[in-house]
Amino acid sequence: MSWPVKTIAERTGDLLPGSPWTAALYVLLTILAVTAFMTVTGLVLIYAERKIAAHFQCRLGPMRVGWHGVLQTIADALKLLLKEDIVPRDADALLHILAPVLSFAGMLLVMIALPMSPSLQVADMNIGVLYVTAVSGLGVLGILLGGWSSNNKWSLLGAMRAGAQIISYEVSATLALLVVVLFSGTLQLSGIVQSQEAGWWIWRAHGCGIVAFAIFLIAGTAEINRTPFDLAEGESELTAGFHTEYSGLRFSFFFLSEFLNMFVLAAMTSTLFLGGWMPLHIGHFTVFNGVMDIIPPGLWFTFKTTGMIFLIMWFRWTFPRLRVDQLMRLEWKILLPIGFVNLFVSAACVVTGCYFFAR
Amino acid sequence: MPADSVLPPAESVATPEVLPPPEKHVGVGGAILGAVPWIDKTGAVGGVFRAIRSLFGGMKITGGYLMRPSTVVTQQYPENRETLKLPDRFRAQLAFNHDENGYHKCTLCRICEEACPNVSIIITGREKPAVSKKELDSFVWRLDSCTFCNTCVIVCPFNVLRFDGTFESSVYDRRLLSYTLNQYAGPVASVLEKMEDPEARKAAMEARDPYSGAAIIAALIEKQKATKIAERAAREAAKASRVAAKAAAAAAAAAAQPEPPPEAEDVG
Repeated sequence: MSWPVKTIAERTGDLLPGSPWTAALYVLLTILAVTAFMTVTGLVLIYAERKIAAHFQCRLGPMRVGWHGVLQTIADALKLLLKEDIVPRDADALLHILAPVLSFAGMLLVMIALPMSPSLQVADMNIGVLYVTAVSGLGVLGILLGGWSSNNKWSLLGAMRAGAQIISYEVSATLALLVVVLFSGTLQLSGIVQSQEAGWWIWRAHGCGIVAFAIFLIAGTAEINRTPFDLAEGESELTAGFHTEYSGLRFSFFFLSEFLNMFVLAAMTSTLFLGGWMPLHIGHFTVFNGVMDIIPPGLWFTFKTTGMIFLIMWFRWTFPRLRVDQLMRLEWKILLPIGFVNLFVSAACVVTGCYFFAR
Repeated sequence: MPADSVLPPAESVATPEVLPPPEKHVGVGGAILGAVPWIDKTGAVGGVFRAIRSLFGGMKITGGYLMRPSTVVTQQYPENRETLKLPDRFRAQLAFNHDENGYHKCTLCRICEEACPNVSIIITGREKPAVSKKELDSFVWRLDSCTFCNTCVIVCPFNVLRFDGTFESSVYDRRLLSYTLNQYAGPVASVLEKMEDPEARKAAMEARDPYSGAAIIAALIEKQKATKIAERAAREAAKASRVAAKAAAAAAAAAAQPEPPPEAEDVG
């Protein structure tokens, strides 16, 4: 069974020769749909996080607004919209306003490259992995600017921690990502998904896959500044770190991009290691593969991403926060050597064709 | 081994028995660690495995909480007011212990008053003519300054005091937070003694409402306030009548003299 990929960008291109206005309308609708998708995903994620966190800690979480508090996030969002938007007197006003936008833009630009299903992907670049790695770096720029422009030492400390942390862990994340690129032989995200038709890279690669998966998950969690790597916010030390001076809508931009970054990380992890929208296939087991194909690819993507998000939430509400030196030791002394060795071993595997269901 | 046990023979001291290591819970990391015998379990690599093992242990605990909703300790307070579960030793309000006839055993010994670290207990006595001893007049407990240290309950030699769990004591006026604990709002003893059902008697002995215990101080202040309000009202009424009289006088003067002399302005 082949999986023809048709992206929204290609469909717009098809429409363009006939009527430019239809194409423009299509683009407009796409933008609206992406915005709505992000907002709804953000709200759902925040609600899920609060409920799951509560039950991890023997609590109930929001219970009052709506059935079991389902409308709580909407109420909070409305409250944030109505709050006064304060720019501190001594802050750099332009950068202070720009920072949350940049942070949000980095996440938004990654979002358009995510393959959610063969028919649901905004743009499919042939350098998709490179693009995602590059563009997700914009997020750290937003955080740095936010901390810098606030003119507050705790914010600056948080931002600098975030900068050091994200740049360090980017190395390990990229090394782990390269393993998948080596095995699949392409940088295109839909190509990576299709290369997993015989099985997901997490188990097909003789252990290299699972090591790379673990490294990518750890480094990714560090990149999105979540516990156990939330030194940038450090509620108990830095009073919320880089976004201390933000309120109202701009704070909600930071908040939303933080949660959507979690979604992006989960989606990337499932795309690279768990086959993205590709159903669970095992080599040439045709009957088994056929049964798995009954579930549509979009649902597979949703299941995998949800599972990864749950795992990241589980990490957050279990692990204690690291110290700065421990954070750097974990990256440079543990993850990076393991990542290099793993990369060499997987390169050897690829060259010798020594992995499951090699073509 | 307890110190006062019989001393063991000398040879057994010389060759101490090797105890078996305590049985430990082995998680996923531990299983990996056990499977790889050449890893130095106390070194850096062993440390990584121990770290992984402890992380999995933590995730097992939190995951267990997530899977079992019965572990939730949150109480939905205003809704579950009827079924609210409070700890037995919860200290919300100081109260008197009464016996089955509705009497307390306070002897005015004032030990609790002495023990109270910040004078939250103020006891006044009155003469008891028949036995030339003093008896309790009012036992005032100030919730607003009480630190709930429980010392008064501990020191009371007659077991008169207790802390109970009636925690809904918030009021809008701080002065209402002084309670007279020996206050009794129920029927008099002669009526109580005629009651057959002990349960009904007990119920009749309960205080009538949470504020009925408010102390004399508060009542006095309220009284003062009422007096002041009445005085002010009286003053204002007097002023109003004076103004009316003045207006009437002016009107009468105007009617009598169409052109009033300049002195007339000073009248009144």
